[in-house]
Amino acid sequence: MTKRFLTAEDVRRLGGPEIQLESGTVVTPQAAEVAAAAGIRLVGATGPYVPPIPDRGPDASRANDVLPEPISTDGIGLIVTVVGRNRPGVLAEVTATLAAAECDVIDISQRTVGAHFHMVLTCAVAPGREFAPIKDTLQCLGGEGDYVVRVMHEKVFRFMHRV
Amino acid sequence: MPFTDQEILETVRMFELETFDIRTTTLGISLMDCADPDLESSAEKVYAKIVHHGRRLVEVGKSIEADFGVPIINKRVATTPIALVAAACGSKDLVPFARAMDAAAAEIGIDYIGGFTAYVHKGFTRADEALFLSIPEALAETKRVCASVSLATTKAGINMDAVAKFADVVLKTAALTASEGGLGCAKLVCFSNPVEDNPFIAGAHLGIGEGETVLNVGVSGPGVVRSALERLGPDASLLAVAETIKRTAFKITRMGELVGREAARRLGTVFGIVDVSLAPTPAVGDSVADILELIGVERTGAPGTTAALALLTDAVKKGGAMASSSVGGLSGAFIPVSEDQGMIDAVACGALSLAKLEAMTTVCSVGLDMVAVPGDITASKLSGIIADEMAIGMVNQKTTAVRAIPVPGKGPGEKHDWGGLLGTAIVQDPGAFDCEVMWRRGGRIPAPLQSYRN
Repeated sequence: MTKRFLTAEDVRRLGGPEIQLESGTVVTPQAAEVAAAAGIRLVGATGPYVPPIPDRGPDASRANDVLPEPISTDGIGLIVTVVGRNRPGVLAEVTATLAAAECDVIDISQRTVGAHFHMVLTCAVAPGREFAPIKDTLQCLGGEGDYVVRVMHEKVFRFMHRV
Repeated sequence: MPFTDQEILETVRMFELETFDIRTTTLGISLMDCADPDLESSAEKVYAKIVHHGRRLVEVGKSIEADFGVPIINKRVATTPIALVAAACGSKDLVPFARAMDAAAAEIGIDYIGGFTAYVHKGFTRADEALFLSIPEALAETKRVCASVSLATTKAGINMDAVAKFADVVLKTAALTASEGGLGCAKLVCFSNPVEDNPFIAGAHLGIGEGETVLNVGVSGPGVVRSALERLGPDASLLAVAETIKRTAFKITRMGELVGREAARRLGTVFGIVDVSLAPTPAVGDSVADILELIGVERTGAPGTTAALALLTDAVKKGGAMASSSVGGLSGAFIPVSEDQGMIDAVACGALSLAKLEAMTTVCSVGLDMVAVPGDITASKLSGIIADEMAIGMVNQKTTAVRAIPVPGKGPGEKHDWGGLLGTAIVQDPGAFDCEVMWRRGGRIPAPLQSYRN
């Protein structure tokens, strides 16, 4: 039967040992409960019912890939900013972590003001590497009273500062 | 990736120090196919469809936060106006729909869901009437459901019968949630010229011209604008002020565009609009009133406030329009009184009256928002406040709204703290005089001449 939803009322009305569902039908939790209690099997096209992948409507498939983006000349990039109390070894710690994550430092700048410093690194991420784990590892560096690392995706800067 | 240090540090400062965030990613879900002659079945479908489409919303929001390092504060859902969905079942009690929405919102892990909505700017269907009657109980019984109604449009005029009924609904909702200071009314708003793609609660719903699902984004950044104006200093001309706000709004909107596209792509749906609104929170520095005071009024509410707000709203829209082809929603400056520490201070020191606030709404992007009124306000007086605001929207062809909260047991000047994002309110004085005769007349205020454009 072609229906977008199967409700408890539908299950009661249809009855039988099993109900055959068209692909894309969403079974409500109440319908599943009633079917289970009455021993009615819910069967999809290829075996027992599994919730379908949401159908987001006719607009969805052609919506997003056609939007222009600001031009990028490189692959995934990271912008790392480090701020904190200056001491020997900060740059080494940050770059060693970046090296371990196969990140290539493209640009780096650092200033010290009295006992404090700030540092900005622009890095390219090796193909196949994911952003989130690199970010988490880097942000574990330093700590309270020492220095703080912030990692952001290059796209953020590209969208904000380039058209 | 040739970014200068200055560009990089500007962006980092926005996130770290100026409380810039993506305020909401709101998934619009059409519930048109959930109509059913049987009330229970229809509510079942509503629950199932919201959960079906919204299940990954929170997860996608979090993954974008992790991948881009951009905070997304709220993830929410907006649905088709429930009065349309419920029409087929003919029930007079639509609270089961609110329960279904509330349960679905809980299941997918979001804090608010909008769409307990009816369009009655010209007249009531039976379902619209049922929805009106169900609102007080629905809001008292559920935590996450927000209700909104359209009472007026430029094309249709103002439905004064609906205004009167809405005032009753507000008073009943306040009475049913009296133990929480009338909190139910914070989830209840009426509109003139509502927008169909508003991602912000409490007015969020998915209009009838929208598709099956759509992802809309609301960005906010009063803190960023405030800091930019602080750096500009008090000697720059107003043209320079407008230019500074415009540039800042541009950058904020670009972030919304990035997050909106990415969230839509990850959910496999359509990216709808970015709503670039300066939406304040009670956090220090996250205030629209502070911006107005930086532009140069001594206190928000002082002479000059409306002009300053007009400049601010317009500059935000212009910056947004340059940054994205998909600017929509309400886009401008919100002035929710209780949620903005600067506004609360202005009310406390006597600078900001209800009358001035109403004047400000002619140029802000919404209307009388989070305004506390005395708990014993008469229905006619509340109707008058609402009708005035609807008239402003109708004549100026803009969206206006009223989210007024009669605080039970409190009179003008008294304070009430709702806590959290809803903030603290000081009850406003609506004046000693009423509009009972006009209220009793009922009927409709016809559409203004501005609407005859064909």
